[in-house]
Amino acid sequence: MNLIPTMNSNELVADISEILISSEEIDERIRSMGAEISADYANQRPLFVGVLKGVLFFMADLLRSITIDVEVDFMAVSSYSSETRDQGLVRLVKDLETPIAGRHVIFVEDVVDTGLTLNYLLRNLTTRDPVSLEVCTLFNKPKHRLIDIPIKYKGFDLPDQFVVGYGLDHRERYRNLPFIGILQEDAVYSS
Amino acid sequence: MTDNDARVIITNNPNVQQITSIDFAHSSEKLFAQILDYYGIQWEYEPHTFPLEWDDDGNIIEAFSPDFYLPQQDLYVELTTMRPQLITRKNRKLRRLQEIYPQVNIKLFKRGDLRTLMVKYGLDQEAGLITGSEAQKREI
Repeated sequence: MNLIPTMNSNELVADISEILISSEEIDERIRSMGAEISADYANQRPLFVGVLKGVLFFMADLLRSITIDVEVDFMAVSSYSSETRDQGLVRLVKDLETPIAGRHVIFVEDVVDTGLTLNYLLRNLTTRDPVSLEVCTLFNKPKHRLIDIPIKYKGFDLPDQFVVGYGLDHRERYRNLPFIGILQEDAVYSS
Repeated sequence: MTDNDARVIITNNPNVQQITSIDFAHSSEKLFAQILDYYGIQWEYEPHTFPLEWDDDGNIIEAFSPDFYLPQQDLYVELTTMRPQLITRKNRKLRRLQEIYPQVNIKLFKRGDLRTLMVKYGLDQEAGLITGSEAQKREI
């Protein structure tokens, strides 16, 4: 898909100071990850599990690069915020529709940062007795990792900067940018 | 003072703690504890003090108490809201800590890191509290 005409008229691009990873680089890396997963899970019909919403772009492209029989399902969790913090603990707001007991599960993330949300979800899924549970993330931000989580499939390491695009948002914006870009500081902190 | 003596760590608060029982030095520390609680991560607030320097009589003249310890991760976390140019002393303490106690895992969350974390969680008001010179005044 030629995105150049779209980019030139994309009003979100004005807030981006630098493109870190182009859409072409993302496409190429995802194809490579898809080939690797297809080889590792041949004849095992793995279940791909994603946590909404940021993962939807990666999940769609990753699944289309997979050449074996797979299933997909999604979860959603409440994030810590000024609205949810009084509820006490993180909670599932959408659970899987597919039982995972006895299944090979690949947990797909757009980005692993502190690892807090992913740790909660992996603990939850582990109690459901999957045969295997591995993590696949397109982006990894290791600098602020609080929870050490083994990542089997990883696309790119990201620097310690506020980045958006390809599912990564800032206040629910910029997810639809087809690349990973650094958000200008005044856009990060403006209300 | 022998090398072995230097590695005696002082235990302050041995147990996993509750937010309500703690007088946090800075509001960002309380917020960090709330985030950990929200995601079900055990933490302890300033549970250990690491001696860093001794006088000729073996008395401790400098020590460092990281803000948090996450026992399930065996990870210490230090938060600072000071401006980057003002954290030289803290950086020196961290380097010294890792020289004397190389087995200790510690992460430093600087002011920009904390702001990013807060913005990520939509806590714009709290992020605003750690900007400008007022933030330095509130930090111990």
